[in-house]
Amino acid sequence: MQHLAQTTSEKELTSSSPAPMPGTMSSARAPPGHFTVLYFASASSYVKKTSETFEAPLPAAKLFDVLEKKYPGMKEKVLSSCALTVNLDYIDLEEDSGEGQLVLQPGDEVGVIPPVSSG
Amino acid sequence: MSPTEDVDAYVLKLRRQVRAAEVQLRDLRRQLVQAEKQADEARNLNKNHDRGLPFAQQSKRLAVLRNIGQEQGYEGHTNGTEDRSQYARSKRRWPLRKEEYKRYGRQLIMPEIGLEGQLRLRSCSVLVVGVGGLGCPAALYLAGAGVSTIGLVDGDTVEESNLHRQILHSTEKIGMSKVDSAVEQLRSLNPLVNYVSYREHLTPQIALQMFDRYDLVLDCTDHPTSRYLISDTCVLLQKPLVSASALRTEGQLMVLNNPSRAAGDVTGGPCYRCVFPRPPPAESVTSCGEGGILGPVVGIMGVLQALEAIKIIVAGISNPFDADGNIDISTVGREEASNASAPRQESPSLLLFSAYTSPPFRSVRLRSRRKDCVACSASATITRASLTSGSLDYAQFCGFVNPVSVLEKDSRISANDYDAQQFMLEWFRQTRGSEVYGPMTDTIIDVREKVQFDLCHFDRAINVPRSEILADDEPLRRALEELPARRQITVVCRLGNDSQLAVRKIRELRRRGGAIGSAETDDSLVMDIEGGLRAWTRNVDPEFPEY
Repeated sequence: MQHLAQTTSEKELTSSSPAPMPGTMSSARAPPGHFTVLYFASASSYVKKTSETFEAPLPAAKLFDVLEKKYPGMKEKVLSSCALTVNLDYIDLEEDSGEGQLVLQPGDEVGVIPPVSSG
Repeated sequence: MSPTEDVDAYVLKLRRQVRAAEVQLRDLRRQLVQAEKQADEARNLNKNHDRGLPFAQQSKRLAVLRNIGQEQGYEGHTNGTEDRSQYARSKRRWPLRKEEYKRYGRQLIMPEIGLEGQLRLRSCSVLVVGVGGLGCPAALYLAGAGVSTIGLVDGDTVEESNLHRQILHSTEKIGMSKVDSAVEQLRSLNPLVNYVSYREHLTPQIALQMFDRYDLVLDCTDHPTSRYLISDTCVLLQKPLVSASALRTEGQLMVLNNPSRAAGDVTGGPCYRCVFPRPPPAESVTSCGEGGILGPVVGIMGVLQALEAIKIIVAGISNPFDADGNIDISTVGREEASNASAPRQESPSLLLFSAYTSPPFRSVRLRSRRKDCVACSASATITRASLTSGSLDYAQFCGFVNPVSVLEKDSRISANDYDAQQFMLEWFRQTRGSEVYGPMTDTIIDVREKVQFDLCHFDRAINVPRSEILADDEPLRRALEELPARRQITVVCRLGNDSQLAVRKIRELRRRGGAIGSAETDDSLVMDIEGGLRAWTRNVDPEFPEY
C-alpha cells in the first residue's frame, strides 16, 4: 500500500521509520520539535495534502489561526464545521473543561475531520 | 478387487452395521425408559384412587396422560416411524424454525451470537434510511442475518449511474423505485424477513411516526439535512443510530445515541450534533454525482454499518422506557439479563476510512454527550413539536438556498439557442471573414473540475474549475484579464447550477474593475447555458457524453 508523501520537513526523517507512536494514526513520525496535522475529506481537498507538520509547542486554541494564515479562508470554508482530534481523542476547543488550554506537544497528532454527508 | 481389498471392504461394512445397530439399540433403550415411566405413572394414579378404578376409566386416564405427554412434545412410541424423527419434538419445543437453524447456522454456532443472539436478531426491527451506496450492502447483510423487520426509505428511482455501487439494484430495474427494487432482491435472499417499503424522502413531519416502530436506525443518506434530522429523531425517540458516509476515497462511521437515553441523561451516547454541531458550508457539500465515489469505498462503509447494527442487536437493545417515558413492562428484567451477557460497552468512536492512506482505517475516541447540545443535553431545544410543526428548517440550518434559480431568466441561454447562435457565427465566419466573426466570438468558460473537463468539453472552452473559483479569485481573474473588452462570456458546467454561481462571480469581479479590462460592466455580456452540458446532450448533440 502506498504511503502518502508528506511535507518538506519529512526530509529530516531517518530513512528507516520507527514503529508508529502510540496514540497516533499514521506510520511516520514528525521531525523533532514538530506535531503532525492530518487532513481528511474536504480539508485535504482545500489544502491539497493529507498531512503536514508544524512547530511545537502550540496552544491548541491557536491552531486554527495558524491554519487560516497559511490557507486563507480555511476557517470559514472548512474549519468551522470540523471535528478536531488530538492523539485519537476528540477534543472541543470551546468547552471550558480546560481543553481550550491544551498545548500541542512535539510528536502529537492532530486530526482535522470535516463531516462527510454523502453516501 | 484383490482378496485383501475384499476383506477390508467387508470389515468396513460390518463395522458400519454394528454402529447402526448400536444406535438402534440406544433408541430402543430410550423408548423402554419412557414406556416404563409411563407405566409407573399410570400405576401410581391407579394406586392413589381408593379401591382402584374400573378398567374403562383407567384407559381413559391413560389417554389423558398420553395427551398431556403429546402436548409437552412427547409423541411416544406410537407413530411407528423407523428413524430418529420419532423423537422429533413438536415445533413449540424448539425456539427456532427448522429452516432458521439451517439458514443462520453459520452464525448460530459462534459464541458471539448463539441462540440468544439469533433470537434477539429475530425480534428486532431495523430502519434503513436511504437505499443507495450505503443502504444496499447494509440491508443485504441485515436481511441475511435474519432480523425481524427491515424498513427501507427512499424516494428515488434506480439510475444507470447507480449500478457501479448500489449492488441491490440491477440493469433491468432502471426506472423502478429503489425501494421496490431493493425489496425484490432482499426477499429473494431471505424471505423470512418482513420488509416494509417507504417510497418517499424523509421529512421532519413524518420522521417521528416512521421511526417509532423500529428498534434501530441506519443512516444511509447522502445529505447533511437528513443526517441532522435522523439524529434528532433518534434522540427524541431514544433509538440507537448507526451513521455512515462516503465520498471519493474516504468514509466515516459512528454509532450514535448508544446507550439511547432521553435528552439530559449524561449516560446516553453522543448524537450527531455532539460530534458535528455546526453544518458544513452549503457550497462545500459535494454529492457523489459531483465528487465521485469508488464502489468498494461506500460498500465497505455499508457493510460495517450492518456489522455494528448486528453487534448492537445481539448485545441487547435494552431500553426499559417507552417513547412516553413510561416503563415498558415487557423489557423489565431484560436489561439485567442482557447486561450480564453483553460485552463491556466500548466508548463511542468515529471510524475513518481512507482508501489511499496507510493505515486505511483509523479510529478516534468520541466524547460523551455535549453539555450544551441542542438535541440531547439538559438544555435541549429540539422537541417533537419542533419536528412535526415544521418549525425546524433543516435546509435553512445547513445553509441551502434553492440552487437552481440564482440567475435571472435573461442571463441564461438555452442549449438550443446557444447552438443556433454558434451556427450563425460560423456562417458569418464563412461568408464575411474574421473581421465580423472575430468580435462576436464568445469565450467559453467551463467550470467543471479538471477530471470532468478532460472527459469531454467544447472545443473552444477553457477550464476554470469551480473549486479554484471558490478558493481564490486569481484563476478567474487571470482568465478574464486576457479577454478583450466587450467580449461575450458563456459559462457552462454539467447541470447548469455551478455555472450560475460562476456568472455572478465574474460580474462581481468585472464590477470591481481594476486590472480586468475596461470599465465595461455590462452584465448582459456574461451568460450561462441553462441546464448545462446535460441539456446540450439531450437537446442538441446526443453524441456528447452524458455522465
